[in-house]
Amino acid sequence: MTTTIRRRERPAVAAARDRGGRGLLRRLRQDWWIYLFLLPTVLGYGAYTVYPLLASWWFAFLDWPGFATAGTFVGVENFERLIGDDLFWNAFWNSIVFLVFAVPLRVGLALALALVLNRKKTPFKGFFRTLFFLPVVTTGAIVGVVFTLLLDASGPVSLALVWSGLIDSPANFAADAGTSLYAGIAVWVWKWLGITLIYWLAALQTIPQGVHEAAMIDGAGAWAEFRHVTMPLLVPFLVIITLIDTVAAFNVFDLMQTLTGGGPSFSSEVIEIFIFRTAFQATVPQLGYASAAAVLFGLLTMGFAIAQAVGMRWARGRTGAS
Amino acid sequence: MRRQQRILGSLPGAGSAGRPGMGRRQFIGGAGAAALAAALAGCTGGGQMSRESGGSSGSLQWWDQFRPLTKMLQDELFAPYMKEHPGVTIERRQMDVPDLGQALQVGRRSNQMPDVHSLAGLGTSAAALVSEGWFQPIGKLADFQGSPVGEFLYDGMHRFDGEIYSFPPFSGRWHEAVPWFNTALLKQAGVDPEEDPATWDELRDVARRLTKGTDDGVYGIVVPSKETEYLEFLVNRLAMTAGAPGGIDWTTGAYAYDAQQYADAIEFLIALQTDKVVHPASASMGARDARARWAAGQAGVYLWGAWFIGGLRVDEPEAVERGVGTWHIPCPETSRNFVYSPPQSGTFWVSSQSKRAKEAAELMLRMTTREFQARLAAAMDQPPALADVVEEAEVHPAYRQCVANFQDDVRIAPAPEVGTPGVWQVLAEMRDVHPNLGDIVQSVLTGSTSDVAGELRRYTDAMSAERERAIKVVREEKGVEVDTKAWVFANWDRKADYDQQAYAER
Repeated sequence: MTTTIRRRERPAVAAARDRGGRGLLRRLRQDWWIYLFLLPTVLGYGAYTVYPLLASWWFAFLDWPGFATAGTFVGVENFERLIGDDLFWNAFWNSIVFLVFAVPLRVGLALALALVLNRKKTPFKGFFRTLFFLPVVTTGAIVGVVFTLLLDASGPVSLALVWSGLIDSPANFAADAGTSLYAGIAVWVWKWLGITLIYWLAALQTIPQGVHEAAMIDGAGAWAEFRHVTMPLLVPFLVIITLIDTVAAFNVFDLMQTLTGGGPSFSSEVIEIFIFRTAFQATVPQLGYASAAAVLFGLLTMGFAIAQAVGMRWARGRTGAS
Repeated sequence: MRRQQRILGSLPGAGSAGRPGMGRRQFIGGAGAAALAAALAGCTGGGQMSRESGGSSGSLQWWDQFRPLTKMLQDELFAPYMKEHPGVTIERRQMDVPDLGQALQVGRRSNQMPDVHSLAGLGTSAAALVSEGWFQPIGKLADFQGSPVGEFLYDGMHRFDGEIYSFPPFSGRWHEAVPWFNTALLKQAGVDPEEDPATWDELRDVARRLTKGTDDGVYGIVVPSKETEYLEFLVNRLAMTAGAPGGIDWTTGAYAYDAQQYADAIEFLIALQTDKVVHPASASMGARDARARWAAGQAGVYLWGAWFIGGLRVDEPEAVERGVGTWHIPCPETSRNFVYSPPQSGTFWVSSQSKRAKEAAELMLRMTTREFQARLAAAMDQPPALADVVEEAEVHPAYRQCVANFQDDVRIAPAPEVGTPGVWQVLAEMRDVHPNLGDIVQSVLTGSTSDVAGELRRYTDAMSAERERAIKVVREEKGVEVDTKAWVFANWDRKADYDQQAYAER
């Protein structure tokens, strides 16, 4: 296989070397319509993704009060201040806690639901799929506002828990320092469960029916079949779905800002709210400092993206896909 | 958008792409350039569609946060001006305070500032913005010095380097902790509105009676705790009624958040919570949410600013019809202390990017007449600068009572930036300290901490250290002559307004 590829590459490489720079121009001329159609995407991506990304790196090295039109270069001072800022680390760890609890919960619950909804005997499958997917298409900020009312001390959740005797007095889950972050996690999992459920359903449908039948003939029970047949075949998908959900768990600004606003007492302040607060809500907005926090956060996300790429490569290797 | 069309129009190749005789190379070049030009024209630093700044597109842009003033400004100010000046169009945008602050920051960086705007949401002193070149002077465009509000113009607040930049259309004599009550709920609970609870204990008692004497789901008081800004000003005002001068002791210039009065004010809020008379959902509410709950009849009393009733009239008019009244802000004891507010800073400012400064200044000058001030009062937002017009204005009796109470309860405090020009540079250099007063109160009310005195002491120390750092920076790096004495007003009389003469005699 390797030899074949090398043989195939040789003439192409040689030809490219022969053509030199003119090859690119010729390709552009021959396939101009491809590049024309790509142009809007390239421009949009450049203007709205690449430029802000690069700009934030530069801003991170500036002392830039939000009221001034430009900042002054201060080197790594913003990063030094961040390292000594307890609220930055509080937000950082809140984001990590969010990730550690929310992602396994979302992936696990969605898998359990997908297994149930993938069974032939399950009634109203279409209805339930729609029901679970509905919150996905609802705006995060609206979900946050609605759950503020549902989770407050006079809301139905608290009243139901008091009525059932699980708690003694009404509790305000989104406004209690001990529960606010977890309330956010619960609402986030509920909101996005449907999309992960769809991923899992798609993954389950790639498993040939014959494999299940073979397991049944071999006398495997439901649990043994899941553990030894279904799950091993789902592992590559598990890696990809987990990594997608992990990156999503870093994008919770709209929900958390409307649900808790990062409070009370910064107990649910995730890194995005920290950046927003520093950049826009400070008495003197600190754009450079906020950018430095964003850069650190970006580095972390980049780490997850690299992990995703490595995971995908590993998953492909395991399934034998090219 | 106009700019976009112009650029597209200047590239004829883009418009004739399909015509015979045009080569692919020309088409690629033309279409690519057109797309690039369109993208660049449409994209700005703020990621918004471009609009030429300063109202040069033909309309005068006006941004502020005053929701109760919406109809009044349109009917009484903009419409008559536009009628008299047919070439002028005025477009006003009303935004919530946080949105306005963000919009102004983004607008400033992308050259899309409105011609006139307020400073709400920016959270800094006007002096700092003047020094950054945000505004242009208006004193030579219209006679503000000779206007009825001329006596309220202060150096360092409205006048910089001898030039007038703004004026106070509103009075400085107000506070944000006015007890507003629902007369129907008071009647149901058997509480006489004329009782006017003079002390904190009496207010607690009223709240208890309201909670017990009304239907299930109705509470004595609502204290929105989601936004720490509300808690900060509420505790500040309550501490003043206990005898605190404010966050700074003007006789020494030192921060005074660790004074006993602040701890007492927080304890008072805790006591209300312990009594179970505070709406249980308060911790999830912002100030406007709380007003909506109050209007829905879920709470009997709500402490907020004079604009409460004006906002109600716009958003929940049925609550005004049902019945609303107001009391004096209660004090811990029957002997009354004053609440202190600095002179009212300029509310509206003309952007340095504006090309319609003359029209803007003329419009703003119209806000200083007694007739307009009376109409301003009728909108029932902040009290007008000429507070006496409220007596004759068409206002709700509760609003009239509220403004009258301000005359009794509020005294004008010193403003360090007026007394010493270098102070604003220190204020601009100071970074936020957290947890601040609002954060501490929120922590206490939600049970995150119980060490009130310790938290207040740490905050006071942190603020003092931050001010020292800022003073050092502006002295060493900018050569500004300022020290902590700028915050000392030895001739401050806590029973009197600190007026222009007091600054002169300082």
